[in-house]
Amino acid sequence: MNTFFQTLIVGLRLGSIYALVALGYTMVYGIIRLINFAHGDFIMVGGYTMIFVIPVVLRLGLPAWAAVLAAIVVCALVGMGTELVAYRPVRKKGTNMTALITAIAMSLFLENLAQAIPAIGPNPKVASQIFKAGGIHIGTVTMEYTTIITLVISAVVMIVLFTFTQKTRLGRAMRCVSEDKAAATLMGINVNSTILLTFGIGSGLAAVAALMYMAQYPKVYTTMGALLGLKAFVSAVLGGIGIIPGAVLGGIVIGLVESFTTAYISSSMADTFVFLILIIVLILKPAGIMGKNIGEKV
Amino acid sequence: MKKNKTARGYFLNTAVIVLLFTAFQILTAAKGSQGAFKLVLVPSIWQCCYLMVLAASLNLVLGFMGQLSLGHCGFMAIGAYTAALLSLACERAEWFDGKNDPRFLAVLIISVLAAGLLAALFSLLVGIPALRLKGDYLAIITLGFGMIIINIINNLPFCGQDGLALGSAGASLYKNGLGFGSKAKVQFLWFALAVTILSLTLLFMFVRSKYGRAIKAIRDDEIAASASGINTSKYKVLTFAYSAFFAGIAGALYACTNATLSTSSFAFTNGGILNSTFVVVMVVLGGMGSLTGSAVAAVIMFLVNYEIKNGQWVSLLPASLSGIFEYPMLVYALVLIIVILFRPKGIFGTYEFSLQNLIPDIRNAIKRHRAAKAEKEEAKANA
Amino acid sequence: MKTSRFFSILLVLCMVFCIAAAGGSAFAADDQIIIGLISPNTGALAAYGTGIVTGADLAVEEINAAGGILGRQVQLIKTDDQSDPTECLNAFNSLVAKGVGLIIGSATSGCTSAITDAANEEEVCILSPTATADSITTEDDFIFRACYADSFQGAIAAAYAKQAGFDKVGVVYCAADVYSKGLFDSFSKACAEYGIELAAEQSSASLDVQDYTNQFTAMVNAGVEFVYAPYYYDVIGPYVVPQARAAGYSGIIMGADGYDTTPDYVVAGADLTAFNDVYWTNHYDPSDTSEKVSSFVQAYEAKYGSIPSAFGATGYDCVYMYKQAIEAAGSEDSVAVRDALADRSAVYECVTGTFSLDESGTPLKGAAIISFQSDGSTVTSKLVDVVTQLP
Repeated sequence: MNTFFQTLIVGLRLGSIYALVALGYTMVYGIIRLINFAHGDFIMVGGYTMIFVIPVVLRLGLPAWAAVLAAIVVCALVGMGTELVAYRPVRKKGTNMTALITAIAMSLFLENLAQAIPAIGPNPKVASQIFKAGGIHIGTVTMEYTTIITLVISAVVMIVLFTFTQKTRLGRAMRCVSEDKAAATLMGINVNSTILLTFGIGSGLAAVAALMYMAQYPKVYTTMGALLGLKAFVSAVLGGIGIIPGAVLGGIVIGLVESFTTAYISSSMADTFVFLILIIVLILKPAGIMGKNIGEKV
Repeated sequence: MKKNKTARGYFLNTAVIVLLFTAFQILTAAKGSQGAFKLVLVPSIWQCCYLMVLAASLNLVLGFMGQLSLGHCGFMAIGAYTAALLSLACERAEWFDGKNDPRFLAVLIISVLAAGLLAALFSLLVGIPALRLKGDYLAIITLGFGMIIINIINNLPFCGQDGLALGSAGASLYKNGLGFGSKAKVQFLWFALAVTILSLTLLFMFVRSKYGRAIKAIRDDEIAASASGINTSKYKVLTFAYSAFFAGIAGALYACTNATLSTSSFAFTNGGILNSTFVVVMVVLGGMGSLTGSAVAAVIMFLVNYEIKNGQWVSLLPASLSGIFEYPMLVYALVLIIVILFRPKGIFGTYEFSLQNLIPDIRNAIKRHRAAKAEKEEAKANA
Repeated sequence: MKTSRFFSILLVLCMVFCIAAAGGSAFAADDQIIIGLISPNTGALAAYGTGIVTGADLAVEEINAAGGILGRQVQLIKTDDQSDPTECLNAFNSLVAKGVGLIIGSATSGCTSAITDAANEEEVCILSPTATADSITTEDDFIFRACYADSFQGAIAAAYAKQAGFDKVGVVYCAADVYSKGLFDSFSKACAEYGIELAAEQSSASLDVQDYTNQFTAMVNAGVEFVYAPYYYDVIGPYVVPQARAAGYSGIIMGADGYDTTPDYVVAGADLTAFNDVYWTNHYDPSDTSEKVSSFVQAYEAKYGSIPSAFGATGYDCVYMYKQAIEAAGSEDSVAVRDALADRSAVYECVTGTFSLDESGTPLKGAAIISFQSDGSTVTSKLVDVVTQLP
């Protein structure tokens, strides 16, 4: 029974991080129907920003997590820069396919640019302790505070984003753009700046995800975003891409699947099961767990 | 009239290929033992061969069918391991005696075919669920598939260490029944070229057939295509399998080129040229929808990659430039972004090279060029 | 139109460069001894390549300052294999085509085994700094190495477990990594030989896995007090050790040379007493006070500002091994150097130990068993024992 709880906690720990990352994917996909492959690398950008800012923050007498503010700014700038330099020109004249390929290229570009910067280099870096150690004890099993904080942050971000897109003016503009760009323009919405804003929010979220990731898995390296981003994207698809609560649900499910496979089936085949689950769900319910199947209009 | 022209085309192509082949054999016989030819040129041609087949096979899916497959190197991995292990089994069973044995040729051909067939079989497993869906799902599922395949190969005991019964699960296969050395590469160069030409021809014929027309229709408008009676799922799955077959064959050629196989070479996160993303770069650079383009781009990418790492001229460049070349991957990412931004249709667009139309094509190009120039001058004069 | 012309010019240029590269061997720097170096300088394992290159560079600099080998200066031609077998073979072929007969490389077993056949065919010497797979070196070949083989390193750990009185052990390893898997294989084989029970066996799917809690929970459930975990420093420091302790595992964690430089990869501010009871085997002990090691560590620190890793040390040793072999052979001809290296009576006094090579070309040297010690805020290494022979 202890093993079961331990596995459950590990699953939640991984899942809450996948959920946070998946929210960023879903935001961008929801509005421009683009798999932003570079999102995982925004997390890497956020991670390295914090590696460099944390010592400064500590010297100022602030808690280590305050570095996330700098990371949010940097990530949002990088995200919006990517949109302006790479995605927008392609979206104007290219097809969906070329946009997707641009996203892959941006991901490669960011990863390798980071490696070429001397201060970063190929060696991984380890962050210092961000939150105080400790947690709630259930029997012999400990649920760490960081895990709980990550879960709470995921839930809060989910609710805020959901309310934002449903209730506020800007949020409604976003949904409008995702439904029909031409109609949105006619309604007086500035489509380009709305998309830019979405990128800013999505990438800022990547910085928050990077903070929570580093609090539990304190290693930062240039390709850290590749597999993490991939699994988070799988989570977003699993939950129903473009649906904000779906991303969180998908993330938790993927985390649990990974953890329970490791503990009970085969520790070296966890990745296989994660992707098998995705394929099975897509066969049964192509729009994801929370998605609605909509026929295509002619 | 039309039939006559096709026949003439076949004749012309065959004649030129035979001519080139003979010339090549003579050249090989004359220079086969020389250092640079044996060590640099021949291995380079081998690598270009499998890259060309791989890029062309992906172009079928990406360029002609309009679906992104990010797991093509997974199919290549299946092909490479199948060919390596099958030939190793034959070697252990002592079915052939050295690489000069005529029976080795039979084993080689069977291995290459088996590699293609197994890859095609796996592609059905992926393609049937994934291709029913619309949108970018194929990209995700194939990406996942590429990782699953590597994960599975890593855990198969006969795919690691010394292979087969002597093996133990691991990421590297040190023994390979093919794995040509430098001399064998020269000796079997004709085989690599023959397989490549045959594969490209078969892919070209597919594109020109009714299947090719159907998938192009699906790419341009899936709903319209299905409304005109095309069974879109069937055609998509079929094309995907056909493409995976050739990715498997490229894998078999890869197994011939390398004495050891390592799953990390086929991984999505691999930094080398053999990475599903790079195959995408080749296809985009050459032109989505041009097999000629894929083949040429594969050679260009190979040369750029090879030269950045091993060319002597890199050290002659000013320090700031050669500094960039220490990070070849950064250069490729930039190439891809620049091509997509400034020339999204790639080098060749949808142009296909053909011997028969070469002269008229050049004539047309010159004519167009002149017309454009004249127009420009006219505009200038008007201004 | 303009862009297409640009591309065609680019294409032609590439062709020309290729032909130029294929045709000429312009490296006729007359009076220099040229040594080729193949290492993964970019890509996933770039950190190892950097270590080897810096170590070898330092050695060449020292040798040239001291008058070179046989009175001639040494030049190092560096190539990058991105830890990919194909790239490694390309780098090898281009070096051989330039007339290089002595090569140091590559870092990983997968890459090195991709060029062993070619090296024997072309009669070119290969001296690998860190390729540990058993099958790489055989008798009567041109392949040598400066590190011990997996079968030795894994067996040392098993012998240590036996000696410390454990008859039940567990293993956590990475199934996708050749190094980790190779050590697991040799460790489990040695355990069977010494009559130690392998009570729990867990693995991870790739080196990108972040969470090892479940694996160590399984160790706790199996009741083992000794776990062999052959991983690298960047997994051990931030992930494996803290998570193992958090999962309630308090026994010994043992590893191999990949643990080197772990103290630079621990989480500052966390409770580092977790690193007590962590042991590992290494090629050498960086805190060794002998003249050879301390002068190397000092010179390295002065040049690069950091403590050398085992990769740096073996890269450094490879250059000196070639120096000794070339001097013994009296020329840098690859066959003569091969014969000098194959001479089993030659003794190499290196940073990673004083040793001679066995019949296959693998050093016969001891392994240093090192432990980590922590007072809670820093982690230091301490030499426990030097094992030269298996029981």
